[in-house]
Amino acid sequence: MPKDDVKPESAVNDKATTPTDPSRRAVIKGAAAVATGAALAGVPLTGFPQIMKREIKDITLRHVGVSYAVQRAIGEQASKDLGFKIEMQNLDTSASITRFVTQPNSVDIADMEGWQVKVAMARKIIQAIDSKKIKEFDGILPIFTTGSYEGRKVSRQGISPYEVMYTDAGATKIIEGQRQHLTFLPQVFNADSIGYRPDKVGREVTEWKDLIDPKFKGRAAILDIPNIGIMDAAQALESRGDLVYGNKGNMTRKEIDITIEALIDLKKKGHFRASWSTFEQSVELMASGEVFIQSMWSPAVTAVLEKGIPCVYAPVGIKPNGKEGYRGWCNGMGLMKHLTGKKLDAAYEYLNWYYSGWQGAYVARHGYYSPVPRTAKAHMTPSEFDYWYMGKPAAEVIKSSHSQPIGQVGTVRDGGSLAQRFSNIACWNTVMDENQYMVQRWNEFKAA
Amino acid sequence: MTRAMVRAQRRRDAVPRPWTFYALAAFFTAYVLFLYGPMLCMYVLSFQGPQGALSFPMRGLSLYWFEQLWAGTTGDIGGAIRRSIPLALIVMVITVVFSVAAGLGFRRNVKGSSAIFYAVIISLTAPGYILGIGIGLMFNLFGWPTNWFSSALGAQLSWTLPFGVLITFAVFGRFNAAYEEAAKDLGATPAQTLRLVVLPILLPGIIAIALFGFTLSYDEFARTLQTTGSSNTVPIEIWSMTQNVTSPSIYALGTVTTGLSFLIIGTALGAITLIQRRRSAIGRSH
Amino acid sequence: MLTRYRPYLQLTPLLLVLLLFVAAPLFFVVIVSFFRTDGFDIQPAFSFENYASVLSSRLTLQLYWQMVEYAALTWAITLFIGFFVAYFLVFHVRNRTVAIGLFLVCTVPFWTSNVIRMISWLPMLGQHGVINSALMAVGLVDEPLRFLLFSDFAVVLAYVHLFTIFMIVPIFNAMSRIDRSLFEAALDAGAGRLKTLLLVVLPLTKSGIALGSIFVVTLVMGDFYVVKVMSGGGSASVVSAMYDDVSTLLFPHAAASAVLLMIVLTVLVALFTRFIDVRQELVSQK
Repeated sequence: MPKDDVKPESAVNDKATTPTDPSRRAVIKGAAAVATGAALAGVPLTGFPQIMKREIKDITLRHVGVSYAVQRAIGEQASKDLGFKIEMQNLDTSASITRFVTQPNSVDIADMEGWQVKVAMARKIIQAIDSKKIKEFDGILPIFTTGSYEGRKVSRQGISPYEVMYTDAGATKIIEGQRQHLTFLPQVFNADSIGYRPDKVGREVTEWKDLIDPKFKGRAAILDIPNIGIMDAAQALESRGDLVYGNKGNMTRKEIDITIEALIDLKKKGHFRASWSTFEQSVELMASGEVFIQSMWSPAVTAVLEKGIPCVYAPVGIKPNGKEGYRGWCNGMGLMKHLTGKKLDAAYEYLNWYYSGWQGAYVARHGYYSPVPRTAKAHMTPSEFDYWYMGKPAAEVIKSSHSQPIGQVGTVRDGGSLAQRFSNIACWNTVMDENQYMVQRWNEFKAA
Repeated sequence: MTRAMVRAQRRRDAVPRPWTFYALAAFFTAYVLFLYGPMLCMYVLSFQGPQGALSFPMRGLSLYWFEQLWAGTTGDIGGAIRRSIPLALIVMVITVVFSVAAGLGFRRNVKGSSAIFYAVIISLTAPGYILGIGIGLMFNLFGWPTNWFSSALGAQLSWTLPFGVLITFAVFGRFNAAYEEAAKDLGATPAQTLRLVVLPILLPGIIAIALFGFTLSYDEFARTLQTTGSSNTVPIEIWSMTQNVTSPSIYALGTVTTGLSFLIIGTALGAITLIQRRRSAIGRSH
Repeated sequence: MLTRYRPYLQLTPLLLVLLLFVAAPLFFVVIVSFFRTDGFDIQPAFSFENYASVLSSRLTLQLYWQMVEYAALTWAITLFIGFFVAYFLVFHVRNRTVAIGLFLVCTVPFWTSNVIRMISWLPMLGQHGVINSALMAVGLVDEPLRFLLFSDFAVVLAYVHLFTIFMIVPIFNAMSRIDRSLFEAALDAGAGRLKTLLLVVLPLTKSGIALGSIFVVTLVMGDFYVVKVMSGGGSASVVSAMYDDVSTLLFPHAAASAVLLMIVLTVLVALFTRFIDVRQELVSQK
């Protein structure tokens, strides 16, 4: 089937083929369309035309990022399907962005959070992604492309992906509003809230203020990443009724002071057992019973469940009084500026492969969402899709990607459906204008 | 004399040990237990079943996590080891050679040796994390690619060399130059003096430097983080894993590492003892 | 003629590494410390605002004080343990091979990555951990002791666990150079075991102690990882504050902080080396 799209041998051997050659672009587009078609039909991606394989089989793309977004299994599958090598390297969030900024030539595909895109653009290390070359662009959830979801405008507290997504052809600055060129392609995203042990807490938790409830003195934990932890704290304080923030994602000095003072007060009272900075720490704190309630990431809840320990991810939908809501985040892939020629073509192939569904299904089983649910759907069983995306009760035993059972028949995933969670985002991960001041005060909280 | 007679003679010569021996032996044992305490938890927990967590209680009993480690599903530990160990060995050798050479060079109060000495101290006190970023930035500026065998190697040397040089100072400080003069008087060339007189006397110090060099390199994290290029060393790979997984396969790694280390050490010491015994046996039979 | 240049040649390898991997990157760091931050961008400038911010902030004082406390405690404990462990290995273990073997046994845990060893403290010190379970089983306590983990106690414990070896090695080296005949001389002069220890062994081990102290203090003050994990984020350290700055790309501020730390530590180490005059001991040989 794909062979019909291949140009005759003579044209292939013509050394004058460049990416701007329209006929070749058509071939690439055709190949990508075929591949996507194959994926949607649930067929493994083997139908790439010979021309692609021969041209780019010696290319190695270096994809660097955090281990929950840049997963080795994905890279291996991509290498298998695409015919060239994807080399994945895992670093933590801080080391990744530092690496992108100080050694841009050592990375090809940069995995970045929304706020890190702002940095990358300011330092001019990424190039614009042509949305016309992304086959599944229309399948991307409107949260990212239009900034609204289910009729509601997505919260603008913090740095939402929508506000950093668009740019001009030369990637000179971020432009608000839909354009042809993108800064990054969303890859995995989620809405964070609180995780807790239902057997120890004894009741349902639906409000952030439970995190700082004196009943859990010595059994609570908060996230030790300053720019994220402070937002969780702000959510809790606002929920408790202490104050109303103008923009939790961009606080004034006064708001920062109030938040930190409250945290120091809690710390002196011995409320926090610990604060965690890695996924592993948060899981162990919960699994070992040191902590009953904490800021948590969804896959951490899954990991605790895998160990046979009950753990629930609190559904903190926005209440009628405007309080509560999830903290959203999004990781995406950016193309480094130095990519040109065949390597750039290969990069686009990779980006398109990413949206073709295998990756979406893979990360879904960790509790993450793919920005393109329609292709992920094709790679999951109907009941899996209903469970993970639609929030429906499980029709069969739901297994994690390690084949451990994590959801019994009839259970519902935490927080309900994708729609429920994402129309309830209160704020996004961010870096605020008063960042330097905030980091300093956060360290005072830690040193207290 | 037969072996039995040797042993009997030894027993007659044996001096009874003072009470401080037993006190200190107990102290030493306590220290070793302290050192191995968390390790023992690690060994036990690495044999958990698929539901295992990183703390007690034990969940299941199996070799599951060793299989996971071998298969490399949760992180590229195998690849990281294939980089970390050669790197550590190279760092070890270079550290020994450069440190001893520097020690020899420092013996004469040459011009600029003060500056170099303070540079060594600064190299020790520089925050590794920031220095690593600086090295990476510099390499990028000059257009050099960063790799575990180039930039990371240099970064780790900046960490191990101060240890090596300072130990060399301490070792040379007790070195009696009279031995060298004696060798010279007997007609040895400088190279022979070095090889046959100086180095054997320095050997304990050299072994210490080698040990530090290897261990410091293998465990090095801060300076290597930004200088390792596109592939991780073991500490970085494990650290990155903890961002995403909570897997007793890292405990399995600890168990395997310890097992292998004991195997190597046991074999080496056993070989040395055997060689010594054979040598003394040969000596006696003459 | 070559003999005149030989010291320079011997120092050259060290010099090259220091120039390329320490001096040059630090040059960049110092320059960046004078830049301005503007949101997400860095502006080249020559401004003292970063230094002003670092030096005038109460936080800086808090962090340094915290680290000094940790360093002092760790130093005292590692000195005590290191001295007696080394003493045992050098003077009480008769067989050289056994001594080396015991020594290597102490080193084996270090070949399991520090990251894993930090994690394995949880099953040891946690509320369901080995220590608490043992204490409760014996009946010494009714409830698990929570201060064992995520506290200053845990941090110092981890430091001692990781860094005692850096005290043992130099002291071991220094002690093994002590001429055994001195013991007999002391015995003949009528000195008991304690007096011999204080008047013979201790002075001759001074350089080893000083070296070990330099290593331990530098390691503690330059740490960011152990404090983060073992205090459960409950304490901050000087370098972990730098790490937080770098996470949001506040490079100039982090650079200024790094320069300050280097100055403080270098002065500290320089004082140590003057105290035992390591270089003088070395250079006095001809």
